Amino acid sequence: MNYHTYSKKSSVSFSYTVLALTIVFLFIPLFVVVFFSFNSAKGMQWQGASLIWYEKLIFDSPSLWAAFKNSLIIALTSSLTATMLGTLAAIGIKWYRFHGKSYITTISYLPMVLPEVIIGISMLIFFSAVKIRLGMFTIFVAHTTFNLPFVFMMVSARLDEFDYSTVEAARDLGANERQTLTKVIIPSVIPAILSGFLMCITMSLEDFVITFFVSGPGSGTLPLYVYSMIRYGVSPVINALSFVMILGTMVIAFTFRRFLKTVAASS
Amino acid sequence: MRKLLKPREREQMLGTAYAFPMGIWFTLFFTIPLGIIVLYSFLKRGLYGGVEWEFTLDAYKQMFNPSFGRVVIRTLWISVLATLGCILIAIPCGYAMAKSKYQTVLLFLIIIPFWTNSLIRIYAWISILSTEGFVNSLLIKLGLIDQGLKLIYNNGAVVLVLIYMYLPFAILPLFTTIDKFDFSLLDAARDLGASKLEAIIKVMFPNIKSGLSTAFIFTFIPIFGAYTVPLLVGGKDSTMIGNIIVDQVSKTRNWPLASAFSMVLTFISLVGVFWMLYNGKREQMQSKKTTQQSLEQNIKKHHLIRGEK
Amino acid sequence: MKGVEVTVEQVSRAYGDFKALDNVSVQIKKGEFFSLLGPSGCGKTTLLRIIAGFDYPDNGKVEFDGKDILPLAPDKRQSNTVFQTYALFPHLTVYENIAFPLRLKHVDKEEIDKKVKEYVHLVQLDDHITKKPSMLSGGQKQRVAIARALINEPRVLLLDEPLSALDAKLRQNLLVELDELHDKVGITFIYVTHDQSEALSVSDRIAVMNKGKVLQIGTPYEIYEAPATRFVAQFIGESNTFPCTVLSCEPYENEFMIKVDVPMLGGTVSVTDYDALEVGSKLDFTVRPEKVRITSTPPRSTNKELNTYKGIVDEPVYSGFQSKFYVRLDNEQKSIVKVFKQHTAFLDDGPEIDWRDTVYVSWTATDGYLVKDTDR
Repeated sequence: MNYHTYSKKSSVSFSYTVLALTIVFLFIPLFVVVFFSFNSAKGMQWQGASLIWYEKLIFDSPSLWAAFKNSLIIALTSSLTATMLGTLAAIGIKWYRFHGKSYITTISYLPMVLPEVIIGISMLIFFSAVKIRLGMFTIFVAHTTFNLPFVFMMVSARLDEFDYSTVEAARDLGANERQTLTKVIIPSVIPAILSGFLMCITMSLEDFVITFFVSGPGSGTLPLYVYSMIRYGVSPVINALSFVMILGTMVIAFTFRRFLKTVAASS
Repeated sequence: MRKLLKPREREQMLGTAYAFPMGIWFTLFFTIPLGIIVLYSFLKRGLYGGVEWEFTLDAYKQMFNPSFGRVVIRTLWISVLATLGCILIAIPCGYAMAKSKYQTVLLFLIIIPFWTNSLIRIYAWISILSTEGFVNSLLIKLGLIDQGLKLIYNNGAVVLVLIYMYLPFAILPLFTTIDKFDFSLLDAARDLGASKLEAIIKVMFPNIKSGLSTAFIFTFIPIFGAYTVPLLVGGKDSTMIGNIIVDQVSKTRNWPLASAFSMVLTFISLVGVFWMLYNGKREQMQSKKTTQQSLEQNIKKHHLIRGEK
Repeated sequence: MKGVEVTVEQVSRAYGDFKALDNVSVQIKKGEFFSLLGPSGCGKTTLLRIIAGFDYPDNGKVEFDGKDILPLAPDKRQSNTVFQTYALFPHLTVYENIAFPLRLKHVDKEEIDKKVKEYVHLVQLDDHITKKPSMLSGGQKQRVAIARALINEPRVLLLDEPLSALDAKLRQNLLVELDELHDKVGITFIYVTHDQSEALSVSDRIAVMNKGKVLQIGTPYEIYEAPATRFVAQFIGESNTFPCTVLSCEPYENEFMIKVDVPMLGGTVSVTDYDALEVGSKLDFTVRPEKVRITSTPPRSTNKELNTYKGIVDEPVYSGFQSKFYVRLDNEQKSIVKVFKQHTAFLDDGPEIDWRDTVYVSWTATDGYLVKDTDR
């Protein structure tokens, strides 16, 4: 073990080695999938390059596209709702004292720390207890619920850096309550609101476990479709789909970073 | 008539106006569903799913059925093993990242796989490990083996994939705390006669305790409640509590039992969270943070990177 | 643009058990530069926030020119505030920050442009109008905050420790600018600070506060030279303070000559006061260190009321323009007397005094004073 030596380099290089191996470990599965998505044959034997699985993905998978459409609708609606409710609540909880505040604060963190299975099961049992038919609406409700804590937390974090005197200054300079909200508070925390919103979109698009419980016939989302593909008949189309989804994640991640930078620079 | 509300009344009014929509949402779709689970776990099982309104402890008694007991024990050891694996890998990673000049790039490299759809990642492992998968094809091609090895559908595969799935959950909080750690303390310890390893164990570890406990909780809780990974890469003997719950709901339709197991999961998660808070709180004794704040802080520490970097 | 008279009458404010303001009354004149001075937690900021409308008193009255303002929301009051943290809107440029109040009032564009430029010029920020607050230095942010508060043409400007976040040199410069600005705009300034030197140098009058109470209101000169209580004496400048008992009190010119017994000094001290004091009253005797003289030989007593004590230099501290000496008296209590000696001429300050030298400290009866100890 060169760990015990007094040389400064040894432990840095040990930890760097672990880090390098970890990054390789994290990326290898993704590379394998992407690589074989260009394979002309079905199995894990390389038979030559081809785009056949991409063709099938685009032109021959109507149910996949229907699922994707459902995913998009739910992602947009639930993210919008969560962003609105979460932002307002973060403002209220950060700056005001009122009855029920500690209840709301505590409850807003719990969905984030409980296992997804619990959230899914409790919602499923709840919806069947109050006799709400499972479908797009129930998925929307579930997604909004697990997205809300993240918006709430991100906006709260941003508000922590925001000086309350700024709100008082706005009031002092003649703004009323509504003007203070729309002209001072929201413009100041807009980067957090937008990143919260985009995070909701990605989480909503990616959720499987909770959606699995609360979806009904005809309301399958993309992850549910992927699940059925894995479970009941693997087709290399899934490799092609994986690459598209990995690419999609990266594009969202990068544009959202760039977007945030432009927002931050202009504000 | 006073146009200006007194501060307390004004706060009450504004706070309520801002926070209640979310409060009501959570009450309806989180508190009440969770309450129903608590209630159902004490009720009698209905014949065709659902429950009958009769108090009983049957569900809890059923949990001591040996076949379930085995699952609980398995869930525990798999979770502990996978969590320890994550943390042991994450400590040197977090250390290297904190020391590195390329923090942003490294964070991005850690986070991109993490952002990829979880099913896709599991699928990737299936295609690597399966009998006709990548590893076996490679080994056969190299002439090292004649027949595909059985790498998947066993507990080993479950632990491996769980580590893969939750590793970033451990790296991120550890990186943030180690990054805040004052490295001159290590030099001071060395100066006072500690070896490099002693310095790290005796000086750095006590100072990154909150990061360690956050990393532990944020990996342990989701792993303990795992459902998809044991289902897709595990074998017949890899079932975990999450799978029992789902089976009880969708197949056996024994809702009280599913509720009772959910209670166990919830309870263990909450114990874990409070333990993490306690650790975080001890560390921040001097700064006098409240439980709430340290909860917020711990969660932010972990999740903000996920969201904003 | 003219200032208003601000009347604060018997205002109290408690947060739970903590009395932030305890029956406070202050009368601030039109156009005055008035400071609220005190340690943190003394209630000065609470009082300012009540005047601004961000806090509300439990009871009492606050009036501008005799009109009750308590029912008005902050945006309806003729006061504007410069915040300790500046509170600039991070998403707006310097120009838009200053234009903010006018935009809310829907003033037309040309008028806004004219006025903003005027105020930008007033605070000398002409070159920075397109910058965001994050690109400004502390002093510049401060100026934006002042311009923004003034553009509404308030009749009272409330300043909440506006210089506390700046470094010492910059603070001095801005203080002078603030004084000039006050002369230019002619409105009432209410300035909250915990820094006694800031308050002494710019204020027309000062209210010294502690533990939610106003202890003394007066000009800087009055506050420094005739502190009303032991707290004021110790908080403003430095002082030697010792408990004492009045032994005798006789008329002396147009004042009274009072002899007090000061056990810690091991003897009696002569001190003059405007008021006659009852024999036997327990008070505090105070003398400012710069008024105490230090000599190596016993001072020639030209004044029969010179108080002289012998001691040993415990600690000399040289700081350029002056030296501080901590002299341990040659008595049973071994009390310490602080002496500040100004170096007014090069090598011409008399014999050098060093550590452990035997010295004489002396002061005249008119330089000491007696204060009540309200904290006791």
